[in-house]
Amino acid sequence: MKFLLYLLLALVVVPFQTTLLHYFSIFGVRPDLGLVAACLVGFLGGELDGLILGLLLGCFQDMLSAGDLWINVVTKGGGGFLAGLAGRHMAHITPAVLTAGLAIISCLSSAVFLYSMNPAGIDEVWMGVRSTVLVQAGFDALVGAGLYLLFRQRWSDDRMVTEGAL
Amino acid sequence: MAISRSTYGTRRLAIVLLACLLVALFLLPSQSQRLLQYVGGPLGQILSVPLAAFSSVDHGISETWNAYLALQRVHEENRQLHRDLELLKGQNNQLRESVAATQRYEMLLNFKQQSPSQTMAAQVIGRDATNWYGGMILNKGESDGVRVEMGVVTPAGVVGRIVKTNSTSSVVLLVTDPNNAIAGVVQRTRDEGVVEGTGHGQARLKYIPLLSRVQAGDRVVTSGLTGTFPRGLAIGGLTQVEKSEGDLFQSAEIEPEVDLSKLDEVLIITAPYEDAGSAKKLLQEIRGDRKKP
Repeated sequence: MKFLLYLLLALVVVPFQTTLLHYFSIFGVRPDLGLVAACLVGFLGGELDGLILGLLLGCFQDMLSAGDLWINVVTKGGGGFLAGLAGRHMAHITPAVLTAGLAIISCLSSAVFLYSMNPAGIDEVWMGVRSTVLVQAGFDALVGAGLYLLFRQRWSDDRMVTEGAL
Repeated sequence: MAISRSTYGTRRLAIVLLACLLVALFLLPSQSQRLLQYVGGPLGQILSVPLAAFSSVDHGISETWNAYLALQRVHEENRQLHRDLELLKGQNNQLRESVAATQRYEMLLNFKQQSPSQTMAAQVIGRDATNWYGGMILNKGESDGVRVEMGVVTPAGVVGRIVKTNSTSSVVLLVTDPNNAIAGVVQRTRDEGVVEGTGHGQARLKYIPLLSRVQAGDRVVTSGLTGTFPRGLAIGGLTQVEKSEGDLFQSAEIEPEVDLSKLDEVLIITAPYEDAGSAKKLLQEIRGDRKKP
């Protein structure tokens, strides 16, 4: 059931990202909703949930991106998994912690993209960091924190139920 | 309790297996491409349904905004004028290219290469899923005959080339993406080079011979050396020529002819040149016309 829910979420998030999200871009950079969703679910639902959703989102994103077919699968899956690991070792998830965590994971994910593009030199890396990595990290963190605040009550209830079951 | 422990064990096993898959995908990128391509086929069909729905919402939003909120008449007129301008730019470029070619070769010999390509119209339904690639999603896929490496153009010039396809959609890598490379030629001096994207909405003509006298304002067109594009399609105009001491080649920045941020419809080149039979027929017709007077 959960898998179907994640599949449905991926089928909504990825088309939204490719068609409508350009209305919300800053300096031509859009938030990576796939990464945000995988990380949020990872933080609040655990490694497995984050990993599964990340793999699904990554697979769909790879199909609608000009890059290599593995790159989004790895970054979104890895992001969801890392967020799950981080979430498991935190007693209380606050918006500030979540924002910082999302920014770090977004930077790591962008680092994989930069690495895959074989930049010619340090200037190109620095250009990529300034023009995309930092802007996207900030954007992802803000969107993630916003979504968390929006659905905080429901997620904290779910988390208590999950922890109680384990 | 036993059930809970078993579920926990399964969960851990699933995590380990999926994490191993993730590591394998990262460490063996070329092998994983084939597997993901195989998996991507049916997933692409599922994805095409919400994609089409969101795309229609996107078009609805932009249509409403443009038609009703932002000065309806002026916008319509402006759009029509832009269309006309694009068309005229394309025609102008074709004419320039024809003139240049006529000066160098016999008209009949050149005609075969100047003949129009077979194209297919497609609609832009989305942008690349990441911020890292200059890509666009088109609403035509393998079922419509679209294949990887086909060129994509507008009447004004080159847009990019197809890099991914599934049954109902395809992904275009834009001419401004650093991963793209197109064989180009400077229209005035006939110096050849490779056009690569810079990633900042511009492109660069590389490997221009050192003794070439290219200058800002020169137009760059496709050379037709690779099978993707026919010769003579506009790529852009040179804005700045760079020649560093000790370098074996010059390079120059190109402002693309097509405004890639405002594309709604494009043409996919399914065959860069008409087949040899029809070209011969056309040549015979022209010869016949010439003999008449």
